[in-house]
Amino acid sequence: MALAEHLPALIVITPLSCAFMAPLLYRRHALASGYMVLLSLLITLVMSALLLLKVNREGPLSYQMGNWSPPWGIEYLADPLRLYMLVVVIAVSLWVFFYALKDLEHELRREVIGWYYTLYLLLVASMAAMTMTNDLFNLFVLMEICAISSCAIITIKQDRECLEAGFKYLILSAMGTGCYLLGIAMLYMVTGHLNFEYLQNELSTAVAIYPLNVFTAAALFIVAFGTKAALFPLHVWLPDAHASAPSPSSAMLSGLVIKIYAFSLFLILYQVFPRSLLDSLPLSEIVLWLAALGVMFGSIYAMMQKDLKKMLAYSSIGQIAIIFMGIGLDQRLALVGGLYHIAVHAVTKGMLFMAAGAIIYATGVRKISDLAGIGRAMPLVLAAFTIGSASMIGIPGTGGLISKWYLALGALEIGRSLFVLVVLSSSLLNAIYYLPIVINAFMSEEDFAHKVNEVPKMLQLALVIGMIFIVVAGVFPRPLILLLGEAVANFF
Amino acid sequence: MAEKTVVAIQIIIVLFPIIMAPVIMYSNRISDKLRNGLSVLTAAFTFVLTMTLYPFIKNGGVVQHSLFEIIPNLEISIRLDLLSFSLASLASFVWLLATPYSLAYMSKEHACGRYYPVLIFTLGSCQGIFFAGDLFSLFVFFELMSIIAYILVIHEQTEEALKAGYKYLVMTIIGGLALFFGMIIIFELGGTVSLGVGPIIQEESVLGLVAFICFLIGFGMKAGMFPLHVWLPDAHPVAPSPASALLSGIMLKTGAYGLIRVVFFVYSFQLLHAFDWDDILAVLAVITILLGSAVALTQTDIKRRLAYSSISQMGYVLLGLSIFNTNAITGAIFHIFSHAFMKSALFLAAGSIIWKTGKRNIADLRGIGHQMPITMGCFALAALSMIGIPPLSGFLSKWTLALGALDVGMPGFVLVLLISSLLNALYYLPIIIPAFFELPGELTIKHHGDVHHEPRIKIEEAAPLMLLAIVLLASCTLFFGLTPNNIAYGLSRLTAAFLLGGGGL
Amino acid sequence: MEMLSRLIHNYFYLAAIILFVIGMHTMLTHSNMVKKVIAMNIMDTSVFLLFVAIGYVRGGKPPIIDGIGETLYVNPLPGALILTGIVVAVSISAYALSLIIKIQRAYGTVDCDEICQIRGDE
Repeated sequence: MALAEHLPALIVITPLSCAFMAPLLYRRHALASGYMVLLSLLITLVMSALLLLKVNREGPLSYQMGNWSPPWGIEYLADPLRLYMLVVVIAVSLWVFFYALKDLEHELRREVIGWYYTLYLLLVASMAAMTMTNDLFNLFVLMEICAISSCAIITIKQDRECLEAGFKYLILSAMGTGCYLLGIAMLYMVTGHLNFEYLQNELSTAVAIYPLNVFTAAALFIVAFGTKAALFPLHVWLPDAHASAPSPSSAMLSGLVIKIYAFSLFLILYQVFPRSLLDSLPLSEIVLWLAALGVMFGSIYAMMQKDLKKMLAYSSIGQIAIIFMGIGLDQRLALVGGLYHIAVHAVTKGMLFMAAGAIIYATGVRKISDLAGIGRAMPLVLAAFTIGSASMIGIPGTGGLISKWYLALGALEIGRSLFVLVVLSSSLLNAIYYLPIVINAFMSEEDFAHKVNEVPKMLQLALVIGMIFIVVAGVFPRPLILLLGEAVANFF
Repeated sequence: MAEKTVVAIQIIIVLFPIIMAPVIMYSNRISDKLRNGLSVLTAAFTFVLTMTLYPFIKNGGVVQHSLFEIIPNLEISIRLDLLSFSLASLASFVWLLATPYSLAYMSKEHACGRYYPVLIFTLGSCQGIFFAGDLFSLFVFFELMSIIAYILVIHEQTEEALKAGYKYLVMTIIGGLALFFGMIIIFELGGTVSLGVGPIIQEESVLGLVAFICFLIGFGMKAGMFPLHVWLPDAHPVAPSPASALLSGIMLKTGAYGLIRVVFFVYSFQLLHAFDWDDILAVLAVITILLGSAVALTQTDIKRRLAYSSISQMGYVLLGLSIFNTNAITGAIFHIFSHAFMKSALFLAAGSIIWKTGKRNIADLRGIGHQMPITMGCFALAALSMIGIPPLSGFLSKWTLALGALDVGMPGFVLVLLISSLLNALYYLPIIIPAFFELPGELTIKHHGDVHHEPRIKIEEAAPLMLLAIVLLASCTLFFGLTPNNIAYGLSRLTAAFLLGGGGL
Repeated sequence: MEMLSRLIHNYFYLAAIILFVIGMHTMLTHSNMVKKVIAMNIMDTSVFLLFVAIGYVRGGKPPIIDGIGETLYVNPLPGALILTGIVVAVSISAYALSLIIKIQRAYGTVDCDEICQIRGDE
């Protein structure tokens, strides 16, 4: 079938085209507009899954945009690894949108919700394309789309905090893309290519002639993606931005957006830079140490927070660092762990933000100390929060354990037990700040002091789906792990 | 019995209580009676099912069966051998008695709708620990049980309970992480964590030692081993009494069980012995024994005293485990049995006293033997057994342990056992003697008169269901001590031979 | 000496890097938001400059094939890329400026430090 050949393009085009229809439809019929967005995401998800199946069966697929063949045209590459990320992106977006449908009415003014849909779909489309693109410059353009739309879903709330946080995010992210563009220029200068594959071939010889250019480019890339993905110590923008945003935006930003940059850095490190360069330069070592610091500091900062969403935001810094550790350890099993953690943490943090959002929705409470006894008032929401916390800690039966298992195993395999301890202490630190909330919510003697409104069914359903995801990720991870294991095998 | 049937029965034993827990939780909405009935039925059914495995075990059967793979080379599997059967039958027996006891005890407590499902769920996860066929499954159930038991610990929801519970939870998570670390090292070194492939670690290495210490931390924490016992004296007394009985009587043993598995199935004990890694265990065990007893002396709350006593008694088990010969291992395993009976009886009896009179302070218990003769009689029996008076079961286990220590020429250990028994006597007798030979505090004034007449004290016993459990447990200590050819001792001896013989491989 | 001659030979690299550093420095250190946006544009422009300079071939003709056998063309690709880049940079600037207006309305200032102070006082 002709359409099947164009799946990579269609996956990007579907949300993109719906993005511009949504606000138009919203004026006439608000509900239909929401369902159209939901439907478009569902269709995208089905297409991504089909593509994944196809690629798994027939091998990687290269798609040339507009039939311009590389190295000049833009190539989209669909291999199992990228499609794994794609499916995670689309599935989580669909799930978060499910939650957003009801929650937004509460958080935003009615007339901007239609525009929120536009931004949301733009974000999804740009992230979907970022997973597949095989071209550095195209990646730059997509990163900018992603940056604008992710800033905009924060500032759309238009209160003082959001505006300031959004601006800070925008400026730092512009600095990141500036560095990235300079890095591209450095590589283009010495190779004349922008396509990943051609670059890798050229670079293995170009390193010898222009080492300085290549090294600078590598450093710039780490700074660029480090800023965008909130790698310690470039994380300063994250807590304000993620905490002040509307809850669905927080779930998207903490759940997916920071991960897509980590994933892009991973692709560039492993698919653009030749293996010999990676071995000779301490690139992964730098990432690794920054990540280890991030794990510790993210958790420690999180412990000091009084605001629930701020705490979750800081916790994201620690968790993204876990993913970076998987990349930095430069070992097959650790990489599997890191990549698996992308999916696990996307769902977990998404769900925690949703639970926090549901609490705010129903009671208006944001402070951690005010949550005493809330578990008896809102059992389902807090059950979701508990499962999310369990996955953060890595309790058996949740996805968090599996990713930590692989990370620790990978670190041990190359004899770096120190980083095993970092992974374990991250679990312990998470326990120290997540558990008191859960205990206080369920076991506190005093009853919840605030009025509790009913949480809409849609929100509850979204939380239930999240819980199921997490448990399935902890009990049946085998197919995914096998897929990831095979996908990363050729990097080593 | 075919292997398939055995596996199926085991799965039911583990899953049935876990599935029943939400059912019981739901039935709470319908009626209290239904909830209570279901809880007792579940416990009874689990016990009966566990006992049906006995014929298979008696014939020396061993089952190792992999259920499904979670990630490559890491699976959930099930195992049945002498050791797992011994502990599983013991656990289900004590649960069977503690659940009906709870019916009476909990009638005065709040939040029963939460208590029973949790109680039954822990039974399932506990059986899961004993039936786990590899370290990973063991770890999963171990964590599951530990975390769910938290709800039992903080049941009263007082500030004290919450504080103790938090300590318990944090220690549990630290222990869990240590186990996780140890397990990963084993997986890295041996490529498997299965308990069915014989000793995984055959060679000495630094990582191997690190893993061994991690296991000591993880399982030792649960078993109340020094210096990781700090949570225990806080957590056990604050729980409702039937829960304390289970925490002290059974759940402590999961730690010891884990260590036995590690010593014999993960490492080869020859290796441990050759490189003196067992000495770590022995030293910690001796400190645990003496420290637990010494601190118990200073406690004034009866349940706290019992909790410290548990620490010292678990030290015996660990000590037996650090000496690799038949007598010592038999003693250790038999002590698991006898301590489960004794300590459960003691906690349940103490619970009855608290339930009936509200007295927790040991000084207030004078003359209680007149008021509650059966309860206190059982308490006395169990306490004497704890001290090691023949012909009670405590004596038999200590005797066997001492024999084991002498076999390897370690009279020092015998001395430790004797000192500890003396200490046991010092802190148990002051409870028992005043209870029977003095009069209750409010009646003593009458003594000052010249005319000496016995005041009549009304006998007020605890509820029959509670008495039943206490009497049964106390008579177990008598029965298993009186007849050295009993089933528990026989199982212990068989198990010891089985473990030293290489675990039936 | 050789280093120096290489630098002089490639003076446009130097210009681009200097501009880039000026932009980045201003962006991170100045507290005025409008200046930050201007700095962002300087930074982007410097990279565009570098890109276009890379594509230039000395003595090359515009890459329009007119059938007369010319062989030396200027590389057209960087130009095309930079056009895209400029569009992106303009949209980011527009968005940032609109945000500044909103912030000015909310806080009454466009100075980051003052905003921090206002938020600290709250």
